[in-house]
Amino acid sequence: MYWRKNIVILCVAITILGTSLPARADDDQSASETVERIASLLVAKSSIATITMQISNETGTHDLTMKVWSAGGEDVLLRILTPPAEANTAVLKMGNDVWYYLPKTNRTVKVPSAMTMNTWMGSDFTVDDLVKESLLTRDYTITNSFHGDRGGVAVDEYTLTPKADAAVVYGKIILQVRRDNQMPVWQRYYDEDGKLVRELTFSDYKTMGGRLIPTRLLMRPTDKPGAQTVITYDDITFDVSITDGTFAVNNLPR
Amino acid sequence: MSIRLLKLAWRNLWRNYRRTFITMAAIAFGYVMLMFVACLMAGLRWQMIENGTRLLLSQVQVHDPGYYPNRPIQKTIGGENGTNVPALLSAITADPRVEAAAPRVYGYGMASAGDRSYGVELLGVDPARERRVTALHSQMVAGTYLSEAMLKKVVVGDKLASTIGVRTGSEIVLLAQAADGSMGNDLYTVGGIFHSGLDDMDRSLVLMPLSSLQDLLNLPHGRIHEVGVKLYDIDGATAVATDLAARLGKTLSVRVMPWPELAPDLADYVQFNRGVTFVLFFIFFLVAVIGIMNTMLMAVFERTRELGMLMALGMRPAQVIGLIVAEAAGLACASLILGGAIGAPLLWYLQAHGLDLGGKTGGVVTIAGVVVGRLWYGRQDFPVYAQAAIGLSITALLSALYPAWRAAHFRPTEAMRKV
Repeated sequence: MYWRKNIVILCVAITILGTSLPARADDDQSASETVERIASLLVAKSSIATITMQISNETGTHDLTMKVWSAGGEDVLLRILTPPAEANTAVLKMGNDVWYYLPKTNRTVKVPSAMTMNTWMGSDFTVDDLVKESLLTRDYTITNSFHGDRGGVAVDEYTLTPKADAAVVYGKIILQVRRDNQMPVWQRYYDEDGKLVRELTFSDYKTMGGRLIPTRLLMRPTDKPGAQTVITYDDITFDVSITDGTFAVNNLPR
Repeated sequence: MSIRLLKLAWRNLWRNYRRTFITMAAIAFGYVMLMFVACLMAGLRWQMIENGTRLLLSQVQVHDPGYYPNRPIQKTIGGENGTNVPALLSAITADPRVEAAAPRVYGYGMASAGDRSYGVELLGVDPARERRVTALHSQMVAGTYLSEAMLKKVVVGDKLASTIGVRTGSEIVLLAQAADGSMGNDLYTVGGIFHSGLDDMDRSLVLMPLSSLQDLLNLPHGRIHEVGVKLYDIDGATAVATDLAARLGKTLSVRVMPWPELAPDLADYVQFNRGVTFVLFFIFFLVAVIGIMNTMLMAVFERTRELGMLMALGMRPAQVIGLIVAEAAGLACASLILGGAIGAPLLWYLQAHGLDLGGKTGGVVTIAGVVVGRLWYGRQDFPVYAQAAIGLSITALLSALYPAWRAAHFRPTEAMRKV
């Protein structure tokens, strides 16, 4: 009987070893998938959303509401609804090109790609953050760097380090994801010296348009004390059909 | 030294006028040459500073202490409430060394025409005042400079114009992050195109009327980022900046910077140029000294016999030396006056019309980021002229003194036997 017990233990050990080895190899793969899934949480195949952006800095706060159409992360149209002074201002991203529509002058201008790294409308989000396709999985190597409890909450942390040939401005990005609902908690951006430069915090997880999403995104740059920008999702519908011609430079004036 | 000796010296100078004129020519030529070099080198230095500051920089700038060098849009002079701009300008121009002062506003954004866009620096100026401080208005290659009456007309660099494809009369959209965080944007017309020769400026500068840019950036009209100050004398920039800082600082929190602080590269280059000038001037001075020594030594040596004769007739050695020194001093004075007379029109011409360096292109040349024209202008440098005159006089006197001293110590009979 004694040897049987040993065989059982051996079998169990082999089984664990056998399953855990491929699991290790899959780790990077699944980390990439998780990050990819988080990054496209708010995009999907197509979506139409109404969002509020509250920009705060030393001098005060400024609210914008806007509507965002997106298709496959490739084409994005963002149009300001209020306040009246900025209403109808639009940003269109098609492929790699970004355009602004300026209602005051009734002109559409193409934005040089270097300028899409600049913050938009005085917010702490860049044009890239708002409309550019998430290229996290293309530009970064992703590893699961932490797996466990943080303040009593079970989380995973993923560290994104830029690939050698990637043209990116960050030295490292860390994303924390809750294990219970697989929702992102925060995303921290570090510069090449390893210094935290900005932090995006996700909260207010709600089911909207049939999906669980974080409906509140808070961006805080570390170099500007008192400055922060909050994006709140008021409404979002996924996988809707978007009218042809929505993503067209000629249709920007309205 | 007696009157009789001076009379004798005077007569001696005229006795062999050919010898006198040759010596005078050597000194006068040396003097003209030194003044010429000093004038050109001072001119080069002046032109470097002038060209480095005249287009945009100006010679002294007044800012809010937090403005330079990062230029945050909020840091306007006098803080959030701005300041009384005309009062500030008249306080600055109250300094007698200040020729003119002009207010400026800066913005950063994008210029766009058709489907082409480019990141630009926007500079808002008061056209009438700016004309008196900087000279960009003289660099127009098409159209006209800004005017207060045409608020929607802007002036752009030629490279920017070709990058985004605009000509005079073209429509141009300007976008800039405004002071309140919003995206200022408006439609303008290209009124003129400039070519400064400085790559950065030609590629990315958009010049517009002050109030137009303040409107675009959502800044009240009392808020400006900078006052550009032009001085009568470039060399006094640091002193004027210190005085202005002390005087303006009583009522307003400002930082006043002279051009050497604003353009340290230029200041270094000017310093380097001073070193080169000194070496070059020293070489020319040696050439002049050798010429004068040669002529003067020969002129006195050949008179050893004559001086021996004078001593045989009862003249004491000291009197002989006195005679020669008097002759040399008279000669040097006359030569320097002659040199001055020949040099004056030449130096005047250099300063007024410049030395044409040739080159058929008529274009401008940049050296170390400084625009140097095809014409090399001179600049009067009187302290150096005076130093050269003193140096040459001493040379002439010493070169006469040595042979005279030698002759005076021969016995008369011995001296008379010399050829």
